[in-house]
Amino acid sequence: MNSPLADDTHPERTALILFVTGEAPRSQRAHLNLAAALEAAGIGDTPAREVDLLRDPQQAITFGIFATPALMHIDASGERRVLYGDLSDEHRLNDFLSAL
Amino acid sequence: MNDTETTAEYGLVKRATGIRDLDTVTHGGLPAGGVTLVIGEPGCGKTILGLQILASALAMGEGGVFMSFEESRDQMLRNADAFRWGRSLRESARCEIIDGQSMKEAEFSGAFDIEGLLAVLDHCARRVEGTWIILDGIDQLLRRQADSQMAIDQIVQLNDWSIAQGYSLLLTGKHTGNESFQPDHLAGIEFMMNTILVLSSGLVDKRLNRRFRIAKYRGTRHNPDELAMLIDDDGIRLPYAEPFIAEAVPAAGERLSTGIERLDKILDGGVYRGSITLVSGQPGTSKTTLGAAFVAAAAGRGERALLISFDEFAPQIVRNVATLGIDLQSPIDSGLLRVVARASWNAMVEEHYLALLNLMDEFRPDCLVIDPASALLKASGAESAFLALERLLAATRTRGITTMLTSLSEADDPFGEASLSHASTLADTWIVLRYQINGGERNRSLSVAKSRGTGHSNQVREMLLSADGVDLADVYPFGSEVLMGTARVQKESEEAALRQRLVKERLRQRQRLEREIDKTRTLIQQGQEELERLQEELVAEHDDQTDIDRGTDRHQDDILRRRNPGEGGQDR
Repeated sequence: MNSPLADDTHPERTALILFVTGEAPRSQRAHLNLAAALEAAGIGDTPAREVDLLRDPQQAITFGIFATPALMHIDASGERRVLYGDLSDEHRLNDFLSAL
Repeated sequence: MNDTETTAEYGLVKRATGIRDLDTVTHGGLPAGGVTLVIGEPGCGKTILGLQILASALAMGEGGVFMSFEESRDQMLRNADAFRWGRSLRESARCEIIDGQSMKEAEFSGAFDIEGLLAVLDHCARRVEGTWIILDGIDQLLRRQADSQMAIDQIVQLNDWSIAQGYSLLLTGKHTGNESFQPDHLAGIEFMMNTILVLSSGLVDKRLNRRFRIAKYRGTRHNPDELAMLIDDDGIRLPYAEPFIAEAVPAAGERLSTGIERLDKILDGGVYRGSITLVSGQPGTSKTTLGAAFVAAAAGRGERALLISFDEFAPQIVRNVATLGIDLQSPIDSGLLRVVARASWNAMVEEHYLALLNLMDEFRPDCLVIDPASALLKASGAESAFLALERLLAATRTRGITTMLTSLSEADDPFGEASLSHASTLADTWIVLRYQINGGERNRSLSVAKSRGTGHSNQVREMLLSADGVDLADVYPFGSEVLMGTARVQKESEEAALRQRLVKERLRQRQRLEREIDKTRTLIQQGQEELERLQEELVAEHDDQTDIDRGTDRHQDDILRRRNPGEGGQDR
């Protein structure tokens, strides 16, 4: 059940995943904040994969994400970092994305 | 949803946890729909309570979900392995243990929702057909919320959700130190929740003392006291959860022997079945011997007897009382008697209480001796020792077990009995053993301080120990004192001499009287003979007179005949 992420859409083995819950306002805000930050960083062409936990709750267990919205980054070595919240703190978000 | 295990009381629907003590104090369980908040300092047993409720639900054929925000799944299962029910969490298909600690090292940027959490819980609960959901360390998740009001709103959200879905949701949260029962980071939450359990612990005599309290259970009766809590192989135990039902106490009129014949005589035939006897005395006043005699007598009647010793080990007791002619080995071998040694310092009062209760339930004795019960006062947490003792005695009474407690009184305190006054009110019969020191001797004495419903002797008696057993010597009151030992023996010989003198005196008196009787009889004999002689004399005299009279008559006739003319010349 707790298998490591097999990410078919990102063959380069790194992944950026945004966990949301349906159309919740914070989830929508996080989506917009993330898109803006990626655009500003010049990596807007590699959008994050989005996982809706309301539709696929098993993913929450798989990734260990129980609060939303949450942005997860999995680097080449499989290390995971998570930033919770609506990503309204621009400074923290940019910090998080700087590792990309 | 499994509704068979729920009970309704005043509109509140409860779900039995299957943990007997917990269901007792909550009068049937926790809310069948809604949040139960469990608050406590670290290490108080919050997690264990959650795991135990889950295991208990599994045992009752229900399912459950356990999610920890503090420990990994493996850690959880390892925690559970320490308990009898631990394996069921590993093996059951109806239990889901979720590792929620990933939050620990995360970063936060702005507020977050818990809809994802609810979706996961719902997902898992449906899969295992679960009725119980436990979120262990919910404060670890919600303290991340920048705005604490939002955290509180989300607890309320969890509550509303669990009510709507019909889940019994257990939330555990840490709190540190302060008096109020709100979890850290969740100030004010205590006002929003209807059911709050508080676990606490403190060190008493360097030993951990756990406490359990239902701080709030709205809409239902419950036990609001702070109760002692133990954690043993079964998990959480509340030794004092069981209410005392006075109606269940049988009052038998049957008398049981104490194993000492003379003592039975003093007590009007022995102690009542199901009663409680307190034997108090200083060290070496033969309290244990009395206890041993009592259990030996019980076994002799074919009853089951249990001797709990806080002082000595079983082989020692058996050996020591054997020298007094009390045989404990045979009933031990035949299984009628069990001697259990416990070290008072080795456990909390509540642990002793629970252990004794378990022994009672398992061995089902007819007679019980606790020697000495005062050792419980030496156990940690002794401020509740009397409570434990009262509980224990309530248990023996309801089970109809005839109980003898011994109690050690302090050597230097002649009024040590007063300190036992509390315990003595619990006892039906109170036997006081003492040393009486007089005439340069120490002698054991026994007196019955009280015995309910029994006409008993109020006199102090000397207790004699010999290879033939225990006996009580006769009372020798001398002035205001009771003579014992050599003084008694001396008095006894004096009395014997006096008796001897009296016997001799009587003998002499009898002999004197007999002599008098003989003499009188002789006198009577002589008088009788004299009487007969006189009577004979009288008869003889009478005969003489008759002869003389007859002679006179004849003479007169002759004269008359001569004078009669018709008859030869009489003149007439």
